[in-house]
Amino acid sequence: MAKDHRAGSKVRGEKLPAILMASHLLEGDTVFKTDAGWTRDPSAAKIAHDAETAAAMEAEGKAAAAANLVIDPYLVPVDLTDGGLPVAKHFRDVMRQKGPSIHPDMGKQAEFPPLR
Amino acid sequence: MYRYDEFDERFVRERVAQFRGQVERRLDGSLSEDEFKPLRLKNGLYLQLHAYMLRIAVPYGTLNSAQLRMLAHIAETYDKGYGHFTTRQNLQFNWPKLKDVPTILELLADVEMHCIQTSGNCIRNVTSDQFAGVARDEVEDPRPTAELIRQWSSLHPEFVWLPRKFKIAVTGAEHDRAAIMVHDIGLKLKRNDQGAVGYEVIVGGGLGRTPMIGKVVREFLPKDELLAYLEAVMRVYNSEGRRDNKFKARVKILVHETGEEEFRARVEEEYAKLDGPTINAPEEEVERIAAYFAAPTYEALPDVSQVLDQARAIDPELDRFVEQNSFEHKQPGYIALTIALKEIGAVPGDMSADQMRAFADIAEKYSFDEFRVTHSQNLVLPHVKKDDLPAVHAALKAAGLASANAGLITDIIACPGLDYCALATAKSIPIAQAIAKTFADQERQKAIGELPIKISGCINACGHHHVGAIGILGLEKGGRENYQITVGGDATEHAALGERLGPGIDAEDVPAAIEAIVETYLAEKQGSESFIETVRRTGPEPFKTGFTAFIESRAVESEAAE
Amino acid sequence: MTLIREDGAVEDRFTRADTIDAALAVDGPVLIPLAIADEFAKARPGAEFGVSLPGSTPIEDVKPQLGKIALVAIEFPAFADGRGFSLAKKIAREGFSGTLRASGPLIADEFADALACGFTEVELPETMANRQPVQQWLAAKDTMTEHYQSGYGRGPSILQKRLAARKGA
Repeated sequence: MAKDHRAGSKVRGEKLPAILMASHLLEGDTVFKTDAGWTRDPSAAKIAHDAETAAAMEAEGKAAAAANLVIDPYLVPVDLTDGGLPVAKHFRDVMRQKGPSIHPDMGKQAEFPPLR
Repeated sequence: MYRYDEFDERFVRERVAQFRGQVERRLDGSLSEDEFKPLRLKNGLYLQLHAYMLRIAVPYGTLNSAQLRMLAHIAETYDKGYGHFTTRQNLQFNWPKLKDVPTILELLADVEMHCIQTSGNCIRNVTSDQFAGVARDEVEDPRPTAELIRQWSSLHPEFVWLPRKFKIAVTGAEHDRAAIMVHDIGLKLKRNDQGAVGYEVIVGGGLGRTPMIGKVVREFLPKDELLAYLEAVMRVYNSEGRRDNKFKARVKILVHETGEEEFRARVEEEYAKLDGPTINAPEEEVERIAAYFAAPTYEALPDVSQVLDQARAIDPELDRFVEQNSFEHKQPGYIALTIALKEIGAVPGDMSADQMRAFADIAEKYSFDEFRVTHSQNLVLPHVKKDDLPAVHAALKAAGLASANAGLITDIIACPGLDYCALATAKSIPIAQAIAKTFADQERQKAIGELPIKISGCINACGHHHVGAIGILGLEKGGRENYQITVGGDATEHAALGERLGPGIDAEDVPAAIEAIVETYLAEKQGSESFIETVRRTGPEPFKTGFTAFIESRAVESEAAE
Repeated sequence: MTLIREDGAVEDRFTRADTIDAALAVDGPVLIPLAIADEFAKARPGAEFGVSLPGSTPIEDVKPQLGKIALVAIEFPAFADGRGFSLAKKIAREGFSGTLRASGPLIADEFADALACGFTEVELPETMANRQPVQQWLAAKDTMTEHYQSGYGRGPSILQKRLAARKGA
């Protein structure tokens, strides 16, 4: 069956560094992989700098999906700010890191400090 | 309006329990996400970019004040204090949590509402004319038909796993406000030469990736044969619609690939095999449903209201509002009033919980406790006494709901786009906001006149851009958002698909491009022609020329800037 | 494979065979592809057998067999492929009185629909039956007690019940 939902975004060029993004099954909130598990804070996402780490994170994502914890995990290529924080390369993923552009009072941008 | 009986009530309650069980089985792993997804979609629950989204059915766009107050309560308790009216007359909440959804459904059932089949590959919520029962050009009220179809299509055992979604629209009027030519099935109530009431049946219209105007498959279907005929159409589609390619799975593609004649023949062949009387609704049942839609008890009033005329003479704002937002009522002394959820700079179709409560009070006091949702993401008070209009206007104004721009260039349809939607390729709402700000001046809007702009943030066309007099489609191009512009689209009985003016442009250029298109219109316009009438007469050429000139001027400007 | 009927799991009396040779080697009722039905009937006149066919099969292709066979198994390639429901309806309309089987990775949530469209039983791959055991199927079947559509399921539709209530009143 064709997928209605686009899990990943089309990003050209370098796929690293990357973070792993998903949706929380019970809450629906966007979550990011950390060393310990998952976070809702985009600045606390674990950053993969090499392919090996990225693959390991992706595998952990799949396991979390299989364990009915998250949905649609996928690797998100990022640029790093001067402070070392991950900002998604694709505008769609940036929207997920921040929240709706029309409502600065809602979503991640209302709860967490900005990534840049 | 329709009220549930014990059967409807039990049905909706059991459906809530069913969904609660499905959520539990998803969490314990009995259902995989691939299995749960179509089940939750058939209960209106999507997963979007930031959160789940719950789409609540507003059958044929009719609501009462108790329902709206409940929606306000849900918005405040389980969401972020607002709701969003959609282009299919539904209402969406953008932030519910999966764990709360069964409880939300329970609350909806308390006011005879549900989310059944507002998504998924099944027969979706039936839409209709927002002026049903009000319009003077009506052969018959379409709502009883729409309600009958709502019931018949709810959890239909055979048609819940269709190749793709399936949308039915019904109109009873000469002027088509339900866009029946661009639905999977469009039904138009009509009288035949003998004066009997029945339906013209149109199949295979649709927007999306491959927009098509529907084909008439039955010139006249006797009214009492409706359900059996629908069953025949659905069975042909369910059996033969393509399942190998999601983008070719809608019935419009089946009609197109099979050929109009052959498709009609297959439907008629299937129809001939059906035992109509065992399928169709009994006449008494049709009458039972119709009785709920009997006209309210109007007062006998003169058509001219001196109270209103005097108030208009001294209050230009009221005068402007009534001139722009009222619709002629068949009952003397009354009008139907459009409430445009299109304040300049606001999100098209959004309504706060406070506004919902204020509006519920207004509908209760001044419009027989009833209102409608339009496919233009606006609301309608269907039966307002002209004498009451000054008071209604004041109450609307206090709630920030007295925007006098219904049908004008700032009354823009926009899908949620990339701000919320997981399928979107570009933002949609900010484009609408920028255009509205550009044309904020009331005199300018009035001079331009009726001009429906429709914006979609992806090819799926929830913003109906193909049938906008000006249509805007946001796509991703080279890692940026890019907007294609069309003119000449029309969703009425003159149904037409818009034609592209040229290459896609950047988001920041869209308002100026719309200004250039409007300039072309004002230059080409003859007499009192509306925008769409001018395009229909001139064709898109002058608009293409104007658009090309605009693009060239932009290129020169950006070179100069570099 | 697990075979589920309205009242619970049952033993499968039929043995599947994909070729004519394999079919002829089977003792007892056999389930064969539609394509070899004529050949089998000729070789084993009077033998009890069923045919399996995909949900996309035109009714004209199966109609000639209906008088000779005890079972029709409609194959569902996926739970979300609803063609089998319409085919079941068409087969039942032809007056077929044998067993109608839905075969494939169906989910418990569509059991009631399958029964309402005329299916007698559902044949599940073991992986599905492990995840959604028979109890879930039986519970799912009874979640919705009413239906609006006349001509589906066993009892009268809501529309018919309303009419009866009015006439009784």
